[in-house]
Amino acid sequence: MIGFVLRRLLQLVPVLLLASTAIWAMIYAVPGGPIGAIAGDNASPEQIAAATAQFGLDRPVLVQYADWLWNAIRGDFGMSIRGRAPVLELIGQRLPATLQLAVAATIVSLVIGIPVAIASALRPGSWLDRVLSAWSAMALGVPTFWLGILLILVFAVELRWLPSASAYVPIWENPIGALRNLALPALTLGIYVSGILARFLRASLVSELRADYVRTARSKGLPERQIVGVHILRNALLPFITIVGLMMANFIGGAVVTEAVFTYPGIGRLLIQAITTRDYPLIQGCIVVILVLYIAINLAVDVLYAYIDPRIDYR
Amino acid sequence: MVDPVLSVRGLKVDFGGEGRSVPVVRGVDFDVYPNEVLCIVGESGSGKSVTSLAVTGLLSETARVDGSIRLCGIDVTTAAPETLRQMRGRDVGFIFQDPTTTLNPVLTVGRQITEGEVAHGRLKKADAHARAAELLREVDIADPQGRAGQYPHQFSGGMRQRAVIAMAMAGQPKLIIADEPTTALDVTVQAQVLAVLARRQAELGSAVILITHDLGVVAEVADRVAVMYGGRIVETAPVAEIFASPRHPYTRALLRSVPRIDTSDSRLDPIPGQPPIPGALPKGCAFQPRCAVGRDQPLCVAEEPSLSAVGDNRQSACHFAEKLPAETMAAEPRIHAEAPPSKPEPLLAVEGLKVHFPVKTGVLRRTTGWVKAVDGVSLSVNPGETVSLVGESGCGKTTTGRAIMGLIKATGGSIRFAGRSIRDLDGGAMRKARREMQYVFQDPYASLNPVKSVEDIVAEPLRIHGIYDEMGGARRIAELFDMVGLSRTMLGRFPSEFSGGQKQRIGIARALALQPKLLILDEPVAALDVSIQAQVINLLQDLQRELGLAYLFIAHNLSVVRHVSDRVAVMYLGRIVEESSRDGLYDLPVHPYTQSLLSAAPVPDPAVRDTRRRIVLEGEIPNPASPPTGCTFHPRCFRATPLCSAEAPVFDRYLDFPTRTACHHAGPLAEGHRNIFAPGVLEAAT
Amino acid sequence: MSRFLRKTLSILARLMASKGSALALIFLATITLLAVFADFLPLNPVAQKLANALKGPSATNWFGTDELGRDILARVVFGARTSLLTAGGAVAIAALAGVPIGLVAGFFGGWRDAALMRFVDVLLALPAILFAMAMIAVLGRSQAAALIAVGLTGIPSFARITRAQVLTLRKRDFVTAVEAFGGTATYNMFRTILPNSWSPIFVQVVVLCSVAILLEAALSFLGVGVPPPTPSWGEMLRTGKSYLHEAPYYAVLPGIVLTLTILSFDVLGRALSGLLEGRRDAVVAPKAEEVTS
Repeated sequence: MIGFVLRRLLQLVPVLLLASTAIWAMIYAVPGGPIGAIAGDNASPEQIAAATAQFGLDRPVLVQYADWLWNAIRGDFGMSIRGRAPVLELIGQRLPATLQLAVAATIVSLVIGIPVAIASALRPGSWLDRVLSAWSAMALGVPTFWLGILLILVFAVELRWLPSASAYVPIWENPIGALRNLALPALTLGIYVSGILARFLRASLVSELRADYVRTARSKGLPERQIVGVHILRNALLPFITIVGLMMANFIGGAVVTEAVFTYPGIGRLLIQAITTRDYPLIQGCIVVILVLYIAINLAVDVLYAYIDPRIDYR
Repeated sequence: MVDPVLSVRGLKVDFGGEGRSVPVVRGVDFDVYPNEVLCIVGESGSGKSVTSLAVTGLLSETARVDGSIRLCGIDVTTAAPETLRQMRGRDVGFIFQDPTTTLNPVLTVGRQITEGEVAHGRLKKADAHARAAELLREVDIADPQGRAGQYPHQFSGGMRQRAVIAMAMAGQPKLIIADEPTTALDVTVQAQVLAVLARRQAELGSAVILITHDLGVVAEVADRVAVMYGGRIVETAPVAEIFASPRHPYTRALLRSVPRIDTSDSRLDPIPGQPPIPGALPKGCAFQPRCAVGRDQPLCVAEEPSLSAVGDNRQSACHFAEKLPAETMAAEPRIHAEAPPSKPEPLLAVEGLKVHFPVKTGVLRRTTGWVKAVDGVSLSVNPGETVSLVGESGCGKTTTGRAIMGLIKATGGSIRFAGRSIRDLDGGAMRKARREMQYVFQDPYASLNPVKSVEDIVAEPLRIHGIYDEMGGARRIAELFDMVGLSRTMLGRFPSEFSGGQKQRIGIARALALQPKLLILDEPVAALDVSIQAQVINLLQDLQRELGLAYLFIAHNLSVVRHVSDRVAVMYLGRIVEESSRDGLYDLPVHPYTQSLLSAAPVPDPAVRDTRRRIVLEGEIPNPASPPTGCTFHPRCFRATPLCSAEAPVFDRYLDFPTRTACHHAGPLAEGHRNIFAPGVLEAAT
Repeated sequence: MSRFLRKTLSILARLMASKGSALALIFLATITLLAVFADFLPLNPVAQKLANALKGPSATNWFGTDELGRDILARVVFGARTSLLTAGGAVAIAALAGVPIGLVAGFFGGWRDAALMRFVDVLLALPAILFAMAMIAVLGRSQAAALIAVGLTGIPSFARITRAQVLTLRKRDFVTAVEAFGGTATYNMFRTILPNSWSPIFVQVVVLCSVAILLEAALSFLGVGVPPPTPSWGEMLRTGKSYLHEAPYYAVLPGIVLTLTILSFDVLGRALSGLLEGRRDAVVAPKAEEVTS
């Protein structure tokens, strides 16, 4: 088991190194180079000199890279240029909001997605299947930002039940307030992802239903409930775990669009602000943090999968 | 008389919903009695598997079932789903074909064996594990306690099928339905599984329906036989009579088209044409277009004969059942291309061929061991001769063929073709050398490029070598089509429009395009129906005679090998254990593995089944990554001594026999006998 | 060639035979024709008439007007051009880079496979939308940047699908057969494997069109996609969102067109997957690289 995890970690090293190099190098690809990026396009010679000294830009490139990487590994991405605060601190303020939304959206997507998939897979081709499959396609096809706008129109503008802009309220401090603020963004994200989950789970259920072992189970005279609930579901849920993990990783990686629609103060919106204000240390910091979380979740899912699937020999 | 366990009358099954419905089973009547083994025999599309699923109501909802089915007093066609479910758990046990897919991969074997009994309230959950172990012990699985807690992927194929038998027998059912239970297994494992099945059936006194296409298995286990063709039973009779005096032309033709393992053969007598496709059946009798008796007879075209009595206990559905001649075997002797008498320069000479694959493990994927797929194989093929390489799955026979062809890199040894070394040739030189040596693949469905027309497929080797025009272009392709017995009108079609046998003919035509001297035939008939096998075998023999081809024939089917070969080599775990002339090997094998293999192969002759005893080998082929020490066969061998585990025997000539073998204790089974298939020989040995 | 034509026509006929894919096909054809011939229509996406700002749908302005008094229908039609061009270009980039990567990686294996797939993994290390935003942060905001950014995020799906296809095909006997009678590796790769891989690649083209349109619209919605004044659907939703109280139709109507376009590509992709690959219950959408939350 440890060897398996170690091997997966080892495989990640080149990816992480390549990605972080790319992230570091992006500042050099910006028109005007790192100085332009840090000091701004219309900087005076004095400002340029100050920035050069402050960020050590006169050192050899490799030294700068090693320095940046070493600091990044320790979690130090420097100071935000516009925010005048350490990058990691800014990110730290936003992370809980993103995590809370991710958990809420995952719950919504599972609550909608799993029953829809099971109901439509049990009778493939029936009217119920067609209705539910169409629903999944809609959930997938409707862009989240438009769905968000529609929800705001109905629940905030017309009915005035919920706020149109969502603030971050920690759920353990004020559950009702938190739910009022979370409802629309979590629903928006959750509906979208439920479409993905339902479509995936339906397909794997339908293919499992045709598997030989199902015929064997029927030939033993098992009740249909047990065949579906134990034999089929167990096989279908295994790959499903991977997809759910992937979706969670995506939420944490930043539900950028949804956060923008509801002006929700998560890490995604921080990144958009950083990009529009060209705050490069902040951009780098956000991307590295998201990258690490994203990869960590994917790794955790891989390991979990290998652990619960008896067929995978993880030694 | 006892009441039948199962009684089927007028069973009809149609598939497909709106518009077109396809009749797959078209009026089937039969009974099965307690303690009786009924074999249903037929080729693909005959409706035999569908029949077996229909009698227990296991068909999918797209199937429409008509007729009456009474199973242990329950009318299956009208019973409520819940009644059927109870019946399946109580009265019927099922064994399906492919043990790799019939078990649920994520549940333990023990749980799957007992969950039926638990669900029907006959077993408490707490006792389930002990019961599972008990059932596994009854099917001869070692360490049943531990095995019950394992998952299917930790079982070998033969063990899985025995676990399925344990599962089917768990509820002591009155009827067991086994659908091709040993088709996916090797012959020595098949012998184990059939033995376990027979023993458990005798202990429980159940009735058995065994569905198979293998006439050898039928002769070995059946009490009564029903032959199906085109969705109907065409003949039914006690097993001895079916084989001795078949009363339907199809049964007769089927028996004559199968090569025999136990006799020197005559030329095969194939059934012309293809098995009918359900939904596109010929008018009148479904067999009429292929029938030697009734083809184009007005009566047979006009009217489908009904199944009616032709003597005690037997029925036939043929207008001419009473007028059929009695003999079953064709009299025409096989025209055998005798190997040239003088010792010629061998066309292909392989010495000490080795193919080792690395095993990588650990964090850094380092090579920690080697799978010795081929480990020192020596063989030669003379011009115009057929040499066969036989063995069970995983013995390395296909790897040997592919290494000779240069498709897999050899690790060691030498390969000489027409006197020239062809091992380690570089790309261009190897491509040239390959013009004289061609390969025919096992699976005709997978070996033809689906997006090319068959004309382009056959022309492709010529085009690749840039000699398409030189060799005569389109005219040459048409000639090749004539040669393999395909109509020139088919040239522009695509592989998907052809049947399996026709595809294999295309594969052969393609291999012949470059005018090779040697063909490597890798299980060329294994994927084909028996009646089609005979057509392709005859074609190969005709081509060999006409073109003076040499064949390296790779196969697991011992009967087919006996039929086609001049010389035969038997492989086990990457090595040749015995090599001899055909009759030398089949009549007087000296290596214990060859002897076991031949004794395990079912003979399509029920007359010898009680006099002939099998050597049932223990266990299965070991993992080639960690082969046993010394002689690799010693853990399964009935002659093994301490010497065998210590020292590997050399491959050398045995006495004055035409045989070379690798065994410390080589020798015929019994002195004085000239034929292993003669009654008593195996008994004397074991 | 005639076989190719016949096959295309038969696929089209079978698509038209099913209600869903027929509607999708008709809708996409209409949108494409409108986008191509937009200049010849009596529509002007830039003419401002401030007095006429934020007026609801009427006989002259079927979709109403925006905050500058421009005709929203005209901007939707010209926005289709932006959207389809960006998506088409992005899918072309993704396919032209991804297919050869997958082909080489799958066929040769070994270090080439490892190196190429690590490169693809890097593209996958971030959700697509973030990757595209980071690219735009570097390249600056322009239509070309949006096209390249979206295109790069599509490379992994083509590379992976092609590689998987090659891996299954190269073990098949008809590929080994070509090797056996003397075909070279290059011959096999381009003449045997590639012709057998068009179906899944083509299906992926259609599927990725819907993903690319969604991604481009999302970037514009976030204010980093195709820059104004070029009309774009995402940008219209972004502005429309500010006028939800005064002019709800502003965000709703362009959103309907966007959604129908995405849905049509999705429906078509699934129908094609069923027709070409025989997968009736095809799972097309849930791949990491195609999720835009």
